[in-house]
Amino acid sequence: MFVGRNVPHDSARGHVTGDSIYVDDMPRLANELQVGFFWSPVAHGRIRSLDLAAARAIPGVVALFTHDDIDGENRFGPIFADEPLLAPGELSYIGQPIVVIAAESREAFEKARRAIVADIETLAPIFTIDDAIAAKAFIGARKTINRGDDAAAIAAAPHTIEGVFHSGGQDQFYLESQAAIAIPGENGTITVHSSTQNPSEVQDVIAHVLGVSQSQVVVVTRRMGGGFGGKECQATHPAAIASLVAQKTKRPARIAYTKDEDMVVTGHRHPFQNRYRVGFDDAGRILGMEVDFYSDGGAFADLSTAIMARAMCHAENAYYIHDIAISGTVCRTNSTPNTAMRGFGGPQGVATMENIVEEIAVKLGRDPFELRRLNCYGIDDRNTTPYGAVVENNTIPRIFDELVTTSDYARRRDEALRFNRESKTRLRGIALTPVKFGISFNTTFLNQANALVNIYRDGTVQVSTGATEMGQGVNTKIAQMVADELGVELSAVRMMVTSTEKNNNTSATAASTGSDINGGAAIDACRKLRARLADCAMTLLADPGDPRAQSAASIVIRDGVVFDARRPEKTMTFADLVHAAHRQRVSLGERGFYATPLIHWDVEKFAGRPFLYYTMGAAVSEVEIDRFTGMMRLMRADLLMDIGSSINPGIDRGQITGAFVQGMGWCTTEELRYTAEGELLTHSPTTYKIPNIQDLPEVFNVAWIENDTNTINTKGSKAVGEPPLLLAISVWAAVKQALMSVAGGRVVPLKLPATNEEIATRIATIVDA
Amino acid sequence: MRDHLELYLNGREVRVAGADAFRTVASWLREVRGETGTKTVCEEGDCGACTVLVGAPRGGAIDYVPVNSCIQLLFQLDGKHVVTVEGLRLGDELSAVQRSMVDHHGAQCGYCTPGFVVAMTALRESNATVSGRDAREALTGNLCRCTGYDPIIEAALDMTGGHGKSLDELYAPAPIAEALEAASDSVRIDSGSRTFFAPASHHDALEFLAAHPETVIVQGATDFGVQSNKRSLRPDVMMTLSRLDGLDAISIEGGTLVVGGRATLTSLERFSEGRVPSLHAILRLFGSPQIRNAGTLAGNIANASPIADTVPFLFVCEAELELESVRGRRVVGINHFYKGYKKLDKAPDELITRVRVPLPAAAETVRLYKVSKRRDLDISTFTAAIRMTIGGGRMSGVKIAYGGVAPVVLRLPKTEALLDGREATEGLFREAGEVACSEIAPIDDVRGSKEFRLLLARNVLMKFFHEEIAGGPTARSGGAR
Repeated sequence: MFVGRNVPHDSARGHVTGDSIYVDDMPRLANELQVGFFWSPVAHGRIRSLDLAAARAIPGVVALFTHDDIDGENRFGPIFADEPLLAPGELSYIGQPIVVIAAESREAFEKARRAIVADIETLAPIFTIDDAIAAKAFIGARKTINRGDDAAAIAAAPHTIEGVFHSGGQDQFYLESQAAIAIPGENGTITVHSSTQNPSEVQDVIAHVLGVSQSQVVVVTRRMGGGFGGKECQATHPAAIASLVAQKTKRPARIAYTKDEDMVVTGHRHPFQNRYRVGFDDAGRILGMEVDFYSDGGAFADLSTAIMARAMCHAENAYYIHDIAISGTVCRTNSTPNTAMRGFGGPQGVATMENIVEEIAVKLGRDPFELRRLNCYGIDDRNTTPYGAVVENNTIPRIFDELVTTSDYARRRDEALRFNRESKTRLRGIALTPVKFGISFNTTFLNQANALVNIYRDGTVQVSTGATEMGQGVNTKIAQMVADELGVELSAVRMMVTSTEKNNNTSATAASTGSDINGGAAIDACRKLRARLADCAMTLLADPGDPRAQSAASIVIRDGVVFDARRPEKTMTFADLVHAAHRQRVSLGERGFYATPLIHWDVEKFAGRPFLYYTMGAAVSEVEIDRFTGMMRLMRADLLMDIGSSINPGIDRGQITGAFVQGMGWCTTEELRYTAEGELLTHSPTTYKIPNIQDLPEVFNVAWIENDTNTINTKGSKAVGEPPLLLAISVWAAVKQALMSVAGGRVVPLKLPATNEEIATRIATIVDA
Repeated sequence: MRDHLELYLNGREVRVAGADAFRTVASWLREVRGETGTKTVCEEGDCGACTVLVGAPRGGAIDYVPVNSCIQLLFQLDGKHVVTVEGLRLGDELSAVQRSMVDHHGAQCGYCTPGFVVAMTALRESNATVSGRDAREALTGNLCRCTGYDPIIEAALDMTGGHGKSLDELYAPAPIAEALEAASDSVRIDSGSRTFFAPASHHDALEFLAAHPETVIVQGATDFGVQSNKRSLRPDVMMTLSRLDGLDAISIEGGTLVVGGRATLTSLERFSEGRVPSLHAILRLFGSPQIRNAGTLAGNIANASPIADTVPFLFVCEAELELESVRGRRVVGINHFYKGYKKLDKAPDELITRVRVPLPAAAETVRLYKVSKRRDLDISTFTAAIRMTIGGGRMSGVKIAYGGVAPVVLRLPKTEALLDGREATEGLFREAGEVACSEIAPIDDVRGSKEFRLLLARNVLMKFFHEEIAGGPTARSGGAR
């Protein structure tokens, strides 16, 4: 059996040798054009006129296109079709595409971009959430989740706190920037190689923009050099732009953003600004809570409303709060349209809650962990979320108990507090925070997948699903499932490139659901194939001397060997069985389908069961801070998760360590800084600091509990892509605790990310006070 | 004089003439050679995805170091053996590093992986046994967004499988070194309006500079390459010093550290270990191994950045620069070398041949500070060097230099005067912080606000006081090394 085994990533060999092919590694085609675009230099404005003559005259420049050249619909969007591919007149953010340039070389393209003359009337921009609120500039409707009477509960509570919590944006910082190659075909067809998490959406948008049918567009995704949500919706822009060029020029067209371009023109994780008011008793039990979320959606809707929905569904994190009101509003600003990033609003909701817990603890002079334990969702009671779903398979209490012991939390907390009383140069903080992360797309219909499994006459197998491989190992996990279901060796199973030609109407590989739903679809296909093969095997392995009836149910196919369980001595190979089945005209290809059961979501009332299950975990992080420079170091982190029955422990461990470190970046060093005019300053790794290998803590313990009871999901697993990112909130909380431990019982506001500048500035306010 | 480059790529001889010599190594590999294993991501030497090994022949042997191929120009590799990720396996067999990266899940999306594999190969070449600390140091110049690095460190600790061969076993060094060393003449390549010159003698270098004062010296290219990629910096005339003997020497002569004009930061880091601890500490935080393998001290000085990491140290040591031209040799004190933002007391035809650093006495305290958003591989927000003798309860010989607070690195004479000869007290250092703020003119920029820099200007003095004077050994911060 392969499920549950630590097998290497199916592309690992290619990755370490340099053989793996990414979009921009594909050999240049004869006649191929290099494509890019001229973008809005202002955050808000109106084009008075465009002079393209000089750009057209540059040798090597083949064509320039504006919105006027679009045959189909210029506006598109995954939820609201509000975003133009090419700005028609109004300019809404710096980086917005205006003119597409197709050239024989990158050099000619660069010259043309500089030669375009745009006369632009500048308009007053909106950059902050406060300005958007003042201007009533919103995307979609304000939504609310409500249970009980929060106002009364807070009014009656012995203690209250209130405040505003700020969390910043984050660049996905996939190493492979956005890229696509569009190749025109006959009869108006087009094939597009796209580095996307969402081939079907790319196909849809291309058809929509070019004015052709979806059946004329094939989108192929071999792999991505990282996605992290950034290629869920925003891979569509480069792919559609290259396709426009291919359609108009009848030549292959390649677009590959530079890292700087990518960071400037694509959206990021949403900054949030969340107001909160909370009532609690002497013991620290939260009696009532009111949170009002505002996110910076940027100029266009993209996925902002869905991201807000997930933020709201994670506002209470792991805590049962009966009387609660959660509302969420997406602000429209003149920034890049913000988009999906690992966690998809969940981190912004959970960080707000954990900030609240830290502040309650300091008000009461208590260990925040005691409060977390006290308020945690119950197993059999106090287990209904504000939106009405029951928290099933709740392992957080168990994780708390185990982790608090294995991490030696209590002793280390005492030590840190003592250290802070004594040291004049350094501060320490330690925090234990949980996560409960809902798995399934909030939008119910997206929770479906299909798979195509083809068995060849030599017994080898090709599997195609809508899942896209971005490093997370989804293909490896699906291959493991297929090998087990068909009873073949893992080496007999090959995962094929993702293509809309084989798998139609697929959902994005996102929301951590990739292996759950695509694996589920592949299993469905395998079971149908296996049933047919078992029928063949039943007769092929029949023993005329055995009086018992032939029985498909007793056929065993395992590790490439086939036998009747009642007569295990007589075997045949899987390849022979397949060969024989082919001779008997038995279909050796099958399509599988999966629709996540049990889930439902009322998009108006914001109530229901949006998630099939929850992935849970907790982490303890201990930090040390230089009091003078604000520079912070994570000294030790202990992570404990519930990921159900792991399909591949090596891959899952890598998802946990990777997500945690990425989350640590969001919480600490990753800061998007802009000029007063709205131009992004931090558009490359010299200025935008994702964690480095040296930021990894000296002690990094990663583990998960044994839990084989999540049978509701594929192979009893729990999704692992996003949830561990939220464990890094413990790093931020540890910083907050460190600062508050020397603030004489006062609440110290702390923004997220807690950069060295933010930390040093806060310490200065404590010292001054 | 040759009109083409002579180099080896993965064991095969390659000659390059004309415009390709002016490409970056990464673009040459990917676009000309079609070898796309080497990835380009940031094009500024910050992510390491493009890391390749550059082997320099030396007496029949070849020493390999990892560098960032996205900011190296191909002409810099004349006379070198370049090994890329494609050149590490042996037939179908993976190298020890490749095998370990597969087995430990060191690769997820795979885009950073070639760079890690190459950097880790350099680590394995130089260390028989590898510790977690070694792995972190060797891989500081490589960013990964997927793994959280932990699986990569695991891989680095277990480089035992695969074909197990070293680079010298994969590529017999003697014939390659011999061929490369035989081509010891000077090189001049003209392509369109552009000229590249690699002089074979000191004299030729100075003559060329005199004849072409517009020449840009491209030695490490760790900043030049970035400017070339990001700001289309395309000077017509460029020269490297790589073929000049002697300029890579480092020595201590009568208490003075003498660093040759093309000595790399890596060689200075190695040399200063145990000899100049304060300098060694800051060099370890300078860029990354890839950057230090290419960049030079003279380049860091001549680049004239107000946040150059080595310069505050050179200021408080009152280092001197030796400048040479056909007109002769002169010496300039570094405290007078910077005339304004990126303005130097250096004529276009002058070459920095040596940096002389009178070293502080053992009894003196010298502390260098680097404040950056991320501790490692980050450009500083603020830098400082504080030097003094603390004895008999009084401070003497106080020298303070700050970087990142003005268009050039500054000495703080008023602050120095306030402290000099006085008893060290917390109150005095607090006062010194206020004086320091009056001597600087920081601005808001991408790396920090003006207010933050003013806060740091005060705090760094308090840090010095608490860590070096008031506190015991436990006071020293682990957070900002």
